[in-house]
Formats: sequence, structure tokens, C-alpha cells
Amino acid sequence: MSALPAPASRPKTGLLLLLISLVASIAAYGMVGLGLRGRVPSDIVIYGLTLGGAYLLAWGVVRWVAPRADPVLLPIAGMLGGLGLAMIYRLLPADIADEQALWLLIGLAAFVLTLVVVRDDRVLDGYTYTIGLLGLMLLLLPVVPGIGLTINGARLWARVGPFTFQPAEFGKILIVIFLASYLSAKRELLEAGVGRLGLPRAKDLGPLLLAWGASLAVLFLERDLGASMLFFGIFVVMLWIASGRLGYLLTGGLLFALGGAIGYLALPHVQNRVAYWLHALEPANVHDIGYGQLAQSWFALASGGLVGTGLGRGSPDLIPFPASDFILSAFGEELGMLGTAAILLLFVGLIGRGLRIALDRVDAFGRLLATGLTVTIALQTFTIAAGVTRLIPLTGVPLPLVSYGGTSRVATFIMIALLVRISAGPWQPARRSAT
Amino acid sequence: MSSAVGMLADTITPFALSALKYGLFALLFLFIWRSMRWVVRGLSVAEAAPAADRGGRAREPGPTLPPGSSTLLVKGQSDAKPRTVRLSASMTIGRAPECELRVEDTYASQQHARLFAKNNSWFVEDLGSTNGTFVNDQKLAAPAMLQPGDKVRVGQTIMELRR
Repeated sequence: MSALPAPASRPKTGLLLLLISLVASIAAYGMVGLGLRGRVPSDIVIYGLTLGGAYLLAWGVVRWVAPRADPVLLPIAGMLGGLGLAMIYRLLPADIADEQALWLLIGLAAFVLTLVVVRDDRVLDGYTYTIGLLGLMLLLLPVVPGIGLTINGARLWARVGPFTFQPAEFGKILIVIFLASYLSAKRELLEAGVGRLGLPRAKDLGPLLLAWGASLAVLFLERDLGASMLFFGIFVVMLWIASGRLGYLLTGGLLFALGGAIGYLALPHVQNRVAYWLHALEPANVHDIGYGQLAQSWFALASGGLVGTGLGRGSPDLIPFPASDFILSAFGEELGMLGTAAILLLFVGLIGRGLRIALDRVDAFGRLLATGLTVTIALQTFTIAAGVTRLIPLTGVPLPLVSYGGTSRVATFIMIALLVRISAGPWQPARRSAT
Repeated sequence: MSSAVGMLADTITPFALSALKYGLFALLFLFIWRSMRWVVRGLSVAEAAPAADRGGRAREPGPTLPPGSSTLLVKGQSDAKPRTVRLSASMTIGRAPECELRVEDTYASQQHARLFAKNNSWFVEDLGSTNGTFVNDQKLAAPAMLQPGDKVRVGQTIMELRR
């Protein structure tokens, strides 16, 4: 007998996982009420029904429009989203948390809409430059006077009518689609390399230098270290995957170091980040907000121990901005090492599936798109998880699906919808009609 | 009365909270265990099983090479007689010296096309060549599955898949 489950068990696997994630999300919400106020929240039934309805609806639509799709991506996203939302209810006033719950529902709606609209991901391959241009416009929108807004020192937000959002979050997805399309078409050119390491030829450095310049522009114009690093990272990794040349990774790493040095020398904002990172625990600095946030993050992780204090019973509110950048530390304090390990493992699962989906595709575009989307989520997760644990200087990017932040949540759901679509896609081209 | 309820709540709450916490851990790791089986299963190349086994055929672990030895009958414009090439898991076709299957063909690109095995079938994919790759005189837009007897044309070289 085969040791592997038969393909027929896929829908059941997916539904079971989704139900577990739903029960865990509702349990976490109940635990927050119990921990904070000593009683289970009175609206837990409505909360559970709303969340359950939305999750099951999304699952039903996946079964309907992409029946052969991956079964674990949606449950993992649901689990991360549900845990994050419970923590947001724990950390923030109820009205703000309600707003974030609404954003989770909007994210699920965007997930469903993406799957319904994009019936075949290869359609996206047909609009290479339109998509690229649109992505670039969204990226630079916050710089436009009258639309752009500066919040907390970074010029990231755009205001259109009553809505305030971070256009770069959506620009990121479009840029990944553009890169997948562009690089899969130019693969032949990129494969040429010099020497054993396959260093790119001087004339092939153009796109790399362009992306480098654009990333520096984002850094200097929008003061956004996180987005700047993320864009360059995505570009270099996709170039490396498309070309199969290690040289691109090495050259990219070198340019990254150079860009980092320029940023460090020119921007006090970057210098501060490094200083906070190196000197966070010096006694004189602990009460300073910049140094203190990293110190408090460490204190939170340490006081959580193995199993944590229980949701609502710790004091993660001592960390500045606990719901956005430092949400992982808040989990560390209240659910301990087991809880943070579980969250990181969920991301490992998400990323592992994403890469597997890329490998299963036979066409270059599908492969590159799946890789690019997965790498985007992976780099972002690493940047913030390593930032709050003081492995690298902190750059404020949201922990995908978990952190406070509507735009990021919706954008991540769209990326996961695209991954689901790619997983259902033509990994085996239809047989041509017999002649 | 109310203080008694309060005291009761004070003793029950920590207990309930702990129970809920360990329950949540159990759910989380049950979820991770169930989903990781899917993730890990897919990551080993040997087990990257053809999800395409729709026929219910027993799935065997092992390479995804199609069964039997496949060969390619190659006939270039200057060849008098076709030559036979044994297929390997992935072969690049083109004029470049590093191609596994080199063709002396002025109409072929350096890296013209790629033949590869996946899910127990052979596929051909165009690598962005100038003049395109044709299967049974149809230009390839996406990678296509090959059956024995299919004719792949690269430039003026014709290749036929044989079992």
C-alpha cells in the first residue's frame, strides 16, 4: 500500500485543518477575555459565527473555483490571522480591534475575489509592462504631494478620499508579478555568466543596478528602510532563481552592503536603528523609547518563559507599539516559547508549501511568481522576527497576517490567493488534441 | 453572596485560563503536525509524487522519469541520417556548447528549448528562442507534454520522441 495519502483526501485535510484553526482562533479570543476581565467575552458566539462563516465561505469558494488547489495555505492563513486578531483585541481598545477584525474579513473577501477574477495565473503574464508601471506608481504614490502622508517619520501612506492606506503593500505584489513575467521572458539572456561563480556580465548588470537605485530612492524619499530592503531582496532572489547563477546573489549581496553603508552614513534615522540594536540593554538607555522598545521586547520574551503567562495576563503593553512591530514579543510573553515557536512553524509551513508549489509548476512564469510571492512573505517574516529578537537592527515591517495593519493583511491575503491559484494551475499542461 | 461568586471566579479563572492555554497549545501543535505532513511530504524530490495520478494507479516512490528508456531521433538539415540520443531528466537544446543536446542549426538559438521529465511524462519548453519551438508544426506557447511519435522542431532540426 502507498504510504502517502491519496489525492482524494485533500479536501478533507483542508477542511479539518480549517476547523482546527477556527476553534483555536475562537479559543484565543475567549482566553483574552478571561485573562483581561476574568470572564469569557459575551460576544464570543457572534465572533465565532462571523469568523467561521467567513473562513468556510472562503474554503467553499476555493473548492469551487480551484478544486485541485493546495489544501493547507488557507487554513494556515486563517490560523495566523485568527491568532493575530485575538492578540490585537488583547492589546488595543475594542473599537480599534473591531476595525482590524473588519480588515480580516476584507482580507478574506480580497482572497476570494482574487481567486474568482484570476482564473488562470498565466493571464497576468500578458501585461508585463502595464503591471510593472502600475506597481512602480503605487510604490511612489506616497511621495506625491497632496496624496502622501507622513506617519511616524516614514512617508508611506496615501490618502484617497476617506481611506488611508499603504500603496506600497499592493505595489509589492504587482512588482513581483512584473518581475516573474519579465525575468521568465529574458531568462536566456540572464543565464550567461562569467567564471565559475557565474558572475553577471557587465552589460547584464543594468536591471540589478536599476533595482538598487530604486530601492535607495525608496529609502531616501520615503524614509522606509523595511520596504527598501524588502524590494531589493525580492529582486535579487528572483534574479538568482530565474538565472540559476549564484553570481547574482553575490553581486546583489555586495550592492546591498554598499547601499546599507550609504544609508547609514547619510541618514540619521538609519544610524539610530543600528545604535538601538547594539546598545539596547545598557542601563542608561532602557527608559529611552528607541532603545527601550528592544529592551522591553527582550524582557517580554524572557518573562514569558516556556509556556507564557496566558493571554491577557502579561504586560506586553510595556513595549511601545506592541500590536504592530512587536506582536511576536507579545506572544512570547503571553504564550511563551511554545506559542512563538508555533507561530514561526506556521510560517515555515506557509513558506515550505509556497516553494513546493513553485517546484510543481512546469512553466517558468508560474514558478517564478510562486517563488517571488513566497520570498516576499519569507523575507518580511524574517526581517521583523529577527528584528524584535535583536538578531538584526529593527526595521518596522508588519508580521504578515498577524500584526496590526489593514493594508498589509489584505495584501498578504491576495498573495496567498495567488499562491493557491498557482497551485491549482497547469502543472501539467493539457494534452493537445490528437492529430 | 456576590463576594462568594467573586471568590469562586477568582479560583476558577486561573484554572480555566491554564486549561484554555494548554488546550490552545494542543490545537496549535495538532494543526502544525497535520499540516507539516503536507509540507514535508512535498519537499523531498523522491516523494514529489505525481499528484496527477487520477487513474488510481498505485503510486511508487522513485524518480519521475517516464518508464522505459526513451530516446530521441534527431535529424538536422545537414544530417544524412538521423542520430539517436538517449534522454536524461533535463536536457537543454541549442547551439551553445554547454547544451546537453547541441544542434548545428543556424535557425536555432543558443539556448533554444528544454526537454524534461516530470510526473512520468516528457515535456518540452521553449526557452525564449528567436524562431520558436514547434511540436507537430504547432508553435509552443507554454510547456507541452510529449507522447511517443511527437515531432519537435527547433530551427530546421526535427526531433522525434521514441519509446
